[in-house]
Amino acid sequence: MNHDHHTGRDSGPAMGFNRRSFLKAAGFTLAGVMVAGCERQKVDKAIPFLVKPEEVIPGTSTWYASTCGGCTAGCGILIKNRDGRPIKIEGNPEHPLSGGGLCATGQAMVLSLYDSHRLQKPALRGKPALWDEIDRAVTGQLEKTRREGKTVRILTSSAPGPTALAAVAKFLTAFPGAKHIRYDPLSASAIADAHQQCYGRRFIPHYRFDRSGVIASFDADFLGTWLSPVEFTRAYRSGRPIDGMTPSMSHHVQIESRMSLSGSNADRRLVARPDEQYRLLLRLTALVDREAGRTPAVPDPGPDPRHEDEMRRLAALLNTARGNSLVVCGANHLPSQLLTAYLNHTLQNTGATVDLDAPSYCRTGSDAAVAELMAELDSGGVGMLIVWDANPAYDWPGDGAFAGSMKKAGMSVICASHEDETSHEATVVLPKAHPMEEWDDAEPVSGIVSVRQPAITPFGDTRSLTDCLHRWTGDTISDLEAIKNWWRAAFFPRRNTAADSFDTFWNDAVYRGFVRVNPAPAPLKPFNTSSLGPCGESGPRGGELVLEFYPTVALLDGRHAHNPWLQELPDPVTKIVWDNYASVSPATAAGNGLHRGDIVHVGLDGASLELPVVIQRGQADGTVAVALGYGKMGTDRFSSVGPEWFEGVRTVEPGELVGKNAGPAREFRDGYLANWRTVREFRGTGSARRLAATQEYDSLRMPAGLAPPDEERRPIIQETTLSAYLASRSAGSFPKPEIHTIWPDEYRFPHHRWAMAIDLSACTGCSACVVGCQAENNIPVVGKDEVYRNREMAWLRIDRYYSGEDGDLSVAYQPMLCQHCEHAPCETVCPVLATVHSDEGLNQQVYNRCVGTRYCSNNCPYKIRRFNWFDYSHGDDMQRLVLNPDVVVRERGIMEKCSFCVQRIQEVKIRAKEGRRPISDGEVKTACEQSCPAQAIVFGDLRDPESRISKMQSGPRMYRVLEETGTAPSIAYMTLVRNRGEEGGADA
Amino acid sequence: MNNRVLGIFLGAGLLLCLTIFLTSYANNVRLPGNNEGYEPVQPIAYSHRLHAGELQLACLHCHSDAGRSRNAGIPTMQTCMDCHKFVTAPILDIRAEDRRAAEAKEKPKRIVSAELHKLYAAMGLDDQLRPEPGAVPRAVGWIRVHELPDFVYFNHGAHVSAGAECQTCHGAIETMERVRQVSDLSMGWCVNCHRGSNATGVQGRAVAAPTDCSGCHF
Repeated sequence: MNHDHHTGRDSGPAMGFNRRSFLKAAGFTLAGVMVAGCERQKVDKAIPFLVKPEEVIPGTSTWYASTCGGCTAGCGILIKNRDGRPIKIEGNPEHPLSGGGLCATGQAMVLSLYDSHRLQKPALRGKPALWDEIDRAVTGQLEKTRREGKTVRILTSSAPGPTALAAVAKFLTAFPGAKHIRYDPLSASAIADAHQQCYGRRFIPHYRFDRSGVIASFDADFLGTWLSPVEFTRAYRSGRPIDGMTPSMSHHVQIESRMSLSGSNADRRLVARPDEQYRLLLRLTALVDREAGRTPAVPDPGPDPRHEDEMRRLAALLNTARGNSLVVCGANHLPSQLLTAYLNHTLQNTGATVDLDAPSYCRTGSDAAVAELMAELDSGGVGMLIVWDANPAYDWPGDGAFAGSMKKAGMSVICASHEDETSHEATVVLPKAHPMEEWDDAEPVSGIVSVRQPAITPFGDTRSLTDCLHRWTGDTISDLEAIKNWWRAAFFPRRNTAADSFDTFWNDAVYRGFVRVNPAPAPLKPFNTSSLGPCGESGPRGGELVLEFYPTVALLDGRHAHNPWLQELPDPVTKIVWDNYASVSPATAAGNGLHRGDIVHVGLDGASLELPVVIQRGQADGTVAVALGYGKMGTDRFSSVGPEWFEGVRTVEPGELVGKNAGPAREFRDGYLANWRTVREFRGTGSARRLAATQEYDSLRMPAGLAPPDEERRPIIQETTLSAYLASRSAGSFPKPEIHTIWPDEYRFPHHRWAMAIDLSACTGCSACVVGCQAENNIPVVGKDEVYRNREMAWLRIDRYYSGEDGDLSVAYQPMLCQHCEHAPCETVCPVLATVHSDEGLNQQVYNRCVGTRYCSNNCPYKIRRFNWFDYSHGDDMQRLVLNPDVVVRERGIMEKCSFCVQRIQEVKIRAKEGRRPISDGEVKTACEQSCPAQAIVFGDLRDPESRISKMQSGPRMYRVLEETGTAPSIAYMTLVRNRGEEGGADA
Repeated sequence: MNNRVLGIFLGAGLLLCLTIFLTSYANNVRLPGNNEGYEPVQPIAYSHRLHAGELQLACLHCHSDAGRSRNAGIPTMQTCMDCHKFVTAPILDIRAEDRRAAEAKEKPKRIVSAELHKLYAAMGLDDQLRPEPGAVPRAVGWIRVHELPDFVYFNHGAHVSAGAECQTCHGAIETMERVRQVSDLSMGWCVNCHRGSNATGVQGRAVAAPTDCSGCHF
């Protein structure tokens, strides 16, 4: 009886169960419990407020105007607060600089708020301490410093606003010889110093890209990371109105070595190594002067045969567009910046495209001052060093150089958001509040003053810089009072509104988030041509190979390294996530026998880096480009990101950091943090490492031999030039495909028909929309291994395509999201009707019906559907607080994709129904549309013939991607137009 | 031998489950997740019959967010106190005390009902409505009766402003001593009402109640 006839094996001891019986019994019991347990209700509690704050309505959102603290550009933001927690940040449409756009880092700031690794409590000599103890220790040391005749130094980034600066100034007066040093790792020190020499005052002008018809940029990535990218992107876009009555576009020439975001958007892009750019700038200056009939003010290095034609063309263009052109330079190199200032002066751009009267305050740091500080520290003369919002031990040249000097200070007080390289070595560590936790102010550009208001009670026991300095000088005043007092003294008298009382003035500023006042009077000396003395004929020369350092749009100087959204944001050009790498040109890679992922040893004088290689088209030969901001202390936390399963590979191994820190490998040369330096040794180490990228196909062309004749170029991106477009509005259009459809007549949409238009001419690929979508729609972070398996979850991705030859490479960016096809291929194959069409034109994904067959994804020609292979945890449980309660969190085993932000559509519809009114055009804004600094995305109702979307979709540039498949997408793309300047003149 | 034991075991299990099933669902077979008839005991025996029925308080008086938010909202404890600062016990109990005091020729005592005592305790007050030393105000955790799964978006404001009666979904709440879920809150039940309202209008006004998936699921 115990014999199993099928296997002939003994099925186990008598009276015991074998596996089958056990499963039978278990299944039966489970079924029984399920039937019996149906009625049991999960007890859930509803807990009301004791006393409700007046402005809070549970279940609805409250918006607060504030100022972004993601970098020092000070964009205006609106913080969406739901039930007491900020859950989304959007650009403030009224803000004079950012005008409603917000970059990827700004969008991601809301996640950093809920970072459980942030410092919560102050510490004294490595042990948690109370603020009273800290205050006693600090004031004691300050007293001692004064007694011993030593000095006090405060080192900050450019972030402290006007009130904090006033507090610093007041604090410094109490100590003889005390100084405030500002330090920006992404330094613009040379720009400010150049203006000091030319105009007698140290400042960075406010560049006006919107007024510029011709833009010449020498390695300034102004659309990506340089100074104020959101403002510049918006301005750049408004200087290129293609769809106006008379199409016109600025002409943008980028001279650069690596493929930057700005370079990939340029109308013409010249590839030059960083050490060649100075000579090109010098040559351009000489040519411009000659063209204007003057003797060149600087020595002429003579023509560079590779670029001479372009330089002559550019000089002629700049001269034609006097007062309407702009030269910018990203090199942190004084002679280059002197030449740039001279060019703008001689081209009469000052006062027009270069605003000197209301300068920018966003990067006021001085590199030389930091070097001087280190010398002072080494000499032992500094009794007290206060470091606020800066991490020089991480990003100053020389491994451990700053930390070593810092130890020689009598006492070092470091305020940091996380335990970092600098705070690690400090006597006193203070927790830094998140910018959304405290009152603060900012003045990114003279005359535009903005308020930062707290949107949540601080998580930690934090104090602001202003508060600390006040307390240490025996003052007790709240931050809010300090700000109001300073504004009353400094800004209220400069008001240009009709506000007659300070309260009106202040309340208006808090309501709007900013206020415009008259710029502080700043007398300048006339341009001093003799200051061009340092502009010698030969600039610095690198060796055979030079290493260039650059910031990424996501991590910047590394301050956002703890943010998983930004770590997983694909680089706009390489599309790589969770890593930095050594980027080289195809020729350089071939010359060294390197392939993608090979680890190379980059030997420098006194430093070295080991990084995987990425082969980047369009990069200058003989250069290696490495991103800053990686390898930051504490990023080993991400070893827990991503699913754990038997084949899973960790994002980083425990104890390992995300990427390598290139900061210490930088060089402090001639008084500046140089952007590049010579490589002494460059060789493969023999090992390799896999890199996770979200896009591995690059070309719009089909591989030779596969494509039918005349169809080598795939109809994905329509592109043309301005001159062709002016000749014919249909220039560059693909031939209309003949579509055979089995579908019945067009459906008449009874209420709305939602649709989107994306202008490829406007899109810069900055990826703000990607993070905006992630924040709005609760999209998880999946980790490096899952990205490697093409399982990233982003509903909106930006595809990047190359066309043309390596010498003249064109790049196109295409935001790709669910096309909401009218004849959607996904809908016909779903066996459970989990994806169906709505009567408003939406392709709906019904999560609770989906069983996860993935047929829909197979049948989607755009590959925008995402499958939840796992329950992707957020890694940090506290970061679940950022979830949008209006969007369901999808579970394992179901498909998801872009919903056209249907929750926003429903919200507006409900609001309109409540008000018994129709929905106005532009009232529904998707998250991607809202965040776009270039306003490349337009969403609306096609049923309204007067709506922007109706006009755009019937415009001449409109086309649909893969139209020949007959899917009839609701998203129309607009032809990418480049102003190549063939007619020998900018059309502006 | 072994299989017989198993057979008996399984048979007994089946019988047990069937018994549980049949007794609890004799007239009322329903699907998992259907909580029709759920009527939990609440921490304070608040009576909708008294407040909404007898005293004719408007629903929106307490559930003031129902017309403007996704959530109808449980009234704040302060909202209760607006009235119960003055009303500390049922009127009959107070009259009885007055009578008793008149007979005994003494001043009537302050009467605080057991249920309102819980409210005052939650507010950190004693029965004389003075702050109780050391008491921490703590809101009452009501047991949620009507609950939709997370994958459904429901907005009270949209329904109230369209003119839907509270009773359409919540039943004759003004007659309930303790709140009971009267509808099954199933998707069919929702969609039937949406279709019906689109056909007939609500309170004489045409409405456009969504019947698409993305009306509720996103």
